[in-house]
Amino acid sequence: MEKVLKSYLEKVSKYLKRIPASERADIIKEIESDMSELQNSGKTSDEIIKRLGTPQNLAKAYLGDLLGTGTGFNMKRFLTICAFYSIAGFSGMIIIPCLAIIAPVFIVFGALAPVLAFVKMADSILGLGIPYMENIKIVFNGIEGLSPVMGFVFSVIIGVLLYMAGMGAWKLLLAYCRKTSSIKHKIV
Amino acid sequence: MVIDSWKSQIKRGTLEFCILLMINKRPYYGYEIMNKLDTWPVLSAKESTIYPLLRRLLKDGFLSSSWQETTEGLPPRKYYTITDKGREYLEAMLQEWGNLLTAVKGIEGE
Repeated sequence: MEKVLKSYLEKVSKYLKRIPASERADIIKEIESDMSELQNSGKTSDEIIKRLGTPQNLAKAYLGDLLGTGTGFNMKRFLTICAFYSIAGFSGMIIIPCLAIIAPVFIVFGALAPVLAFVKMADSILGLGIPYMENIKIVFNGIEGLSPVMGFVFSVIIGVLLYMAGMGAWKLLLAYCRKTSSIKHKIV
Repeated sequence: MVIDSWKSQIKRGTLEFCILLMINKRPYYGYEIMNKLDTWPVLSAKESTIYPLLRRLLKDGFLSSSWQETTEGLPPRKYYTITDKGREYLEAMLQEWGNLLTAVKGIEGE
């Protein structure tokens, strides 16, 4: 067998390393057999590789299908999921948690900032003497001594920006999840 | 295109049905299944679809498999055979498929 095909099979095997060795060997043997049939029908190595797709995607197809339709928890399925994510990339492992944290935090604080600044402004203008007001500080670009009114204006602007960023992160998260799951369901 | 996405949805369930129908007649190996499906563009599918699908049917106990040597000097082939459980599954699928066709025809002819 030609070197490109051999190295292709090695890559697939590497991506499937979490599948039990005997099963993995069987999968590889079947793909190898398929390659020989294709060669026998006059296909070149390049055509064969093009037909099979990237080693990553082929491995992903196996892992995706092995997840099956059940929902119960077992070690095997857990390991398959691990393997799936190791291919689906760290993208999923990083992007989803990051966005899931950023979105709500930004939205909540975007709304909270102007409210707090408003309370402080009201306190200082009306001299209400609300306790703990000294803990609300508006620091803009290193300037700490902004008047409560200016502070309020700034915090409204910052609040709107934070809120928009939070909503953006949320929409991105939704889009990302939809995209990833649609890839999983696509048939070639 | 919208029609392509619809076709791929239809195909997903149908492929499983068609593969079982084929293997119910005689043992097949993967490459052979793909070639046969290629006869009908609507069912044509690649390795990355067929092999994982066969593997799942195997795991679910609908198929059994065995490696057999070839006479043409090619590497051994993995032949799939239908099991009793697979036959039952296929029987139920045929029933549902019939129901589906009747329903579509009924609506169409209204």
